[in-house]
Amino acid sequence: MEMTAKISGSVAIATLKGRFDAHEVPAVAAWLQSSQQSGLVHILVNLEGVNFIDSTALSSLVSGLKHCREKGGDLYLCRLTQPVRVIFELTRLDNAFTIFPVEMDALVAFSTPC
Amino acid sequence: MRIDIITTYPPGKGSLNEYGFHFVRFLRTKTENVSEIILLVDELPEGEHYAFEEAPNLVPISARPCWKFNAPNNIFRILKAVRATKPDIVLFNIQFASFGSSKIPATLGLLIPWLVKLSGVKTTVLLHNIMDTINLDQAGFGGSRIMVGLIRFFGYVVTHFILAADLVAVTIPKYVEILEKKYHAHNVFLAPHGSFSEPDADIPVSVPSGPPNILTFGKFGTYKKVEVLVEAFELILQSHPTARLVIAGTDNPNVEGYLAGVREKYRHVPNIEFTGYVSEEQVPVIFGAAWAVVFPYTSTTGSSGVLHQAGGFGRAVVLPRLGDLEQLVIEEGYDGEFFEPEDAHSLKDAIIRVIDFPERMLEISSRNYLAANGVPITEVVDWYLFHFENLLSK
Repeated sequence: MEMTAKISGSVAIATLKGRFDAHEVPAVAAWLQSSQQSGLVHILVNLEGVNFIDSTALSSLVSGLKHCREKGGDLYLCRLTQPVRVIFELTRLDNAFTIFPVEMDALVAFSTPC
Repeated sequence: MRIDIITTYPPGKGSLNEYGFHFVRFLRTKTENVSEIILLVDELPEGEHYAFEEAPNLVPISARPCWKFNAPNNIFRILKAVRATKPDIVLFNIQFASFGSSKIPATLGLLIPWLVKLSGVKTTVLLHNIMDTINLDQAGFGGSRIMVGLIRFFGYVVTHFILAADLVAVTIPKYVEILEKKYHAHNVFLAPHGSFSEPDADIPVSVPSGPPNILTFGKFGTYKKVEVLVEAFELILQSHPTARLVIAGTDNPNVEGYLAGVREKYRHVPNIEFTGYVSEEQVPVIFGAAWAVVFPYTSTTGSSGVLHQAGGFGRAVVLPRLGDLEQLVIEEGYDGEFFEPEDAHSLKDAIIRVIDFPERMLEISSRNYLAANGVPITEVVDWYLFHFENLLSK
């Protein structure tokens, strides 16, 4: 899996490509942790290139979501591919996360006061 | 939120007691989400009682024994207990035979989630198996073809009642598919089983010391039968005379006296240990000594907690070629040696492929450790809490 990370304003963004499974989780978990430790609690994970996601990977995102919300932030997702969307629907985690079709929509949502 | 959990729980020995124990163990740490847990548990034999650790950083918990395996009045007693405790949400940790081995109490018990929902309380069911995939004969509910047909019909009807709960969680993707396609359910979701043990930083796999130790663990007599394993063990003794077979666990409540019968039938076979009930403290010891954990199943009624346990302890496993288990192995990243169900020679060969080949044993052990510890049950509990909060916000 390839991961590219960047920061846009107060939002930490990771774009993932390839297979997101137990073997790839440590890298994503480390990025989530370092972002949160840097005070970034608005996180966006762009899954545009992810063609497979397993329960361990899902769990790492749930864990990231939980920590962001505990600190007053959130973890948004965008650009889910069809196989990944199916897994989110199967687990009904699509109800737990806020999911956007494109990155820009998520950034606008972060910048819009609730 | 205040949560009622209808479950079995140690020292109760009913099925799913271990899952109940570990789920609750981690749910108690979620003090930011949960204010109180009330376990609606089965009554214990005289002299036994439920006990809990009390600590300020744990959610307060109490147990309210209010049902009995095979009692026909569980439905009234559990509803009364739910009304009395006034929870925000009720979770059922159940499978199809949770409330009885007799058909009437088993069926009546499965109507309880629907009735709880009718009473106005948000209801979630964690359903560990579904009727559509159970081999009724081998699960101890068989009899004549007419009887099996009747049970299937009532199973179909009861499944609809279970699906009347607000949410139904299952641990195998195929179950979601069946419930959505056959029952047109829209409230089912997949939740990982989760690992019971805390993961270590290093993968703790090694060949245990001592002679080859073959373990089977569970509640035996219905679809978990040890005869073929004992016969395979007899064959193994020819080349490994110091090998040991540990049959850990008790009779399935549906088949009392089963293990005593096996012990008598195979009294001529040496090096077999029947442990009886295994306490929580002894579980790591039993698994830690095992070279191979064998699943002598003739059918399966759901995701195997024993497989997750074996993986959590970094053990190699020997599995039958049965739909659910093989699917689980593949989908969740487990590995093992496989045998043809009810074939002692095939089972012997599979065990030998583990105990005679340490590299293969360690390869399987490592993969199973990673698979089992991929999603610790503490994270699975978080998934449920997201679903509960979502339900309560509606």
